Amino acid sequence: MAKFLFIYRESTEPQAQPSPEEMQALQAAWYAWMQKFASAIVPGGDGLKPAGRVVKAGVVSDGPYIEAKEVIVSFTIVQANDYDEAVAIARECPPGHTIEIREYAGYA
Amino acid sequence: MSEPRPLVEHFFRHEFGRIVAVLTRSLGVRRLELVEDVVQAALAQALETWSRRGVPEDPAGWLYRTARNLAIDALRRERIHVQVLSRLADEAEREGPQLQTHFADEIGDEPLRLLFVCCHEAVPVESRVAIALRTLCGFSTAEIARALLTTEANVQKRIERARNRLCDLDVDFDTPAAPQLSSRLETVLVVVYLLFSQGCYVTHGDKPIRRDLCDEGRRLGRMLAAHPVGDIPAVHALLALMCFHMARLNARVALDGAIVLLEEQDRSTWNWSDVREGMDWLARSASGDGLTRYHVEAGIAWEHCRATSFAQTDWRRIAELYDTLERIAPSPLHSLNRAVAEAYLHGPQSGLERLAAVPPENVPANYPGWYTVIGELHFRLGQNAAAKRAWQEALELTTAQADQDFLCRRIALCQSDNGRPADESPR
Repeated sequence: MAKFLFIYRESTEPQAQPSPEEMQALQAAWYAWMQKFASAIVPGGDGLKPAGRVVKAGVVSDGPYIEAKEVIVSFTIVQANDYDEAVAIARECPPGHTIEIREYAGYA
Repeated sequence: MSEPRPLVEHFFRHEFGRIVAVLTRSLGVRRLELVEDVVQAALAQALETWSRRGVPEDPAGWLYRTARNLAIDALRRERIHVQVLSRLADEAEREGPQLQTHFADEIGDEPLRLLFVCCHEAVPVESRVAIALRTLCGFSTAEIARALLTTEANVQKRIERARNRLCDLDVDFDTPAAPQLSSRLETVLVVVYLLFSQGCYVTHGDKPIRRDLCDEGRRLGRMLAAHPVGDIPAVHALLALMCFHMARLNARVALDGAIVLLEEQDRSTWNWSDVREGMDWLARSASGDGLTRYHVEAGIAWEHCRATSFAQTDWRRIAELYDTLERIAPSPLHSLNRAVAEAYLHGPQSGLERLAAVPPENVPANYPGWYTVIGELHFRLGQNAAAKRAWQEALELTTAQADQDFLCRRIALCQSDNGRPADESPR
């Protein structure tokens, strides 16, 4: 089993506000997804606050990035045999994000 | 945090209305927009957190605390309304079981209170329903636009006007005095009824019925009837009407979610305890000398409940009641239903003639039901091409999945009718 990091990105453009009904439907979809792949999902994923800091060559600036079209909003850690399996899990994830999948290099 | 579990259906929408109502009480109605924003933001945070971590032990309390904290942050940034701020901050310090009970107690009448505030005389009439659906139910502008048969831009304007007026007046959020309640009751009833009909006839999305909206409508109705100001025949009649409709909801949707026509409904699945409750309200409504549209509509719904089979339906009585309804509350939808009754009474051709007689400016734009009925009447006359045209028109207007499926099935009927392609009929 390898570990994969799912990085969720969302548009920085203002989105139309979903109604409570729509939000709850989305919450239910996430819940169903988490249940379905409960054995693959490693505890510890989380959402990320929209603003951040960028340290580059010792210079600290506000981030993420002014020009960014999408920002990272959250992540999940998933255990899977290979990319195909990880992609299959990501495909069933509720819509609304771009998901980048990266396999752990295994240094730690 | 307990085992992750799903939320009860419509939890977010119910809590939206309740928390808006409770927070508006602390912050004042002029802060309505801020309140809506923080409640919306709290729901968004819940979506993010609960999706990944599971639903907390006390989800309603979690939402309320989050929304209140967001409100405190927002007010701190403004550095005004010090009093409001300290009141909220005090409350936050008293955190704990005390707050829970306090909150739970307030749930009962708080939405009703907010409903009466939304129906304030100072709020333009056409804005009242929009602001009530927005604040009490968290409806999006698109959802309200569909409910009110109007455009999103228009709804947006109505809501802004309502907020501005409430803001200008700094309306006191305490329960208004009885005379004020009475004068607002009429609009309150319109809101309750609209909420209810939205549940019965969903105009978008993938569910043909939203029972929770019906439940909410009836719940508000019962609360009104239990209040001295609302204990009047019009409210009783509205309750009767709602009960008779609810009794028949189960039969309207097949197991696969498809819409079932009244003609084909299994009457044994009707809910007879709803019918009985409706009869009680109907009996209570028959006092005084006022005849409201709710009385007449309850009478029509009762006629349907009373018929032991579709063939037993007393269409003559129903047609008479629609005549009365058209007289006391003119609406193109009543004309439409009157035409349906006419069709059952004197044949589809008479029904079509009635509809043809409706002045074009009175035909509701963007209302698919109008063309669905026209299609049905043509179909019954064997005029498949005309039926298909009408149904296609309806299909273009409808956004509800169940309605779309229904219309597609009807259109397919036109095409396969005895091997006679509909397109060969003269246009």
